[in-house]
Amino acid sequence: MKIVGIAACTAGIAHTYMAREKLLRGAKARGHEAKIETQGTIGIENRLTYQDIAEADVVVLAVDVKISGEERFKGKQVIRVSTAAVIKNAIGFIEKVEKALENLK
Amino acid sequence: MKEDMLITEVMRESCIDLELKGTTKDEIIHEMADLFYKSGVLSSKEQFIKDVYFREAEGPTGIGYGVAIPHGKSDAVLAASVAVGRTRNYIPWESMDEKPVKVFIMFAVNSQDASGMVSLLSQVAVALCDEAVIEQLFTSNSAGEIIELFSRKEETA
Repeated sequence: MKIVGIAACTAGIAHTYMAREKLLRGAKARGHEAKIETQGTIGIENRLTYQDIAEADVVVLAVDVKISGEERFKGKQVIRVSTAAVIKNAIGFIEKVEKALENLK
Repeated sequence: MKEDMLITEVMRESCIDLELKGTTKDEIIHEMADLFYKSGVLSSKEQFIKDVYFREAEGPTGIGYGVAIPHGKSDAVLAASVAVGRTRNYIPWESMDEKPVKVFIMFAVNSQDASGMVSLLSQVAVALCDEAVIEQLFTSNSAGEIIELFSRKEETA
């Protein structure tokens, strides 16, 4: 499946980028495509396009703070998680996302 | 995008101490802030430590595997920097896996800084997602090797 998402932590220095990397690795390990935007202290990087979002099966928000542009995901399946949970066990989290989507079918 | 920027711009040998003496979290934070201060990274050690504790209060900075990444976003930071420390014994620390820590990667960033230096710090964070890097942080005995560890990751990023 196609996953898009955002990573953002309180200080925007470390957890944000670790969470992004772990999500990318976890998605890859489970055979999915992922694109993750970061909203850190230096601003937005790897910004999701409307096309990215339109094509996505699910949106994951690994965020500990209020993010900007959440309205972009209106009408999409959105799953929230803390950056810590993703850093701790990204593959486990991706598996949960798979199950959640399965249950919706 | 950062080909022309080297990790050595934020990671100096003077900010690496693989034989930290502290035995408590507070001692480690002070000892590492001291590395920054003596390297000219901070205008005020006290203010920086206060800001590190502010971040500590928001959630665990232990990322598991015996590694912690305390960090301060602080007006007292003169240049975005990373310090690396290691203790002989494990230190109690709030961690995602609730285990103690002996490798410390401390980040210092000025609250107003949004430069490429900060994005070098984010590359260090990304490198910490690699188990091989974590492993070497526990075994390497040279500051140069530690810097090399993160430089390599930068190239493959």
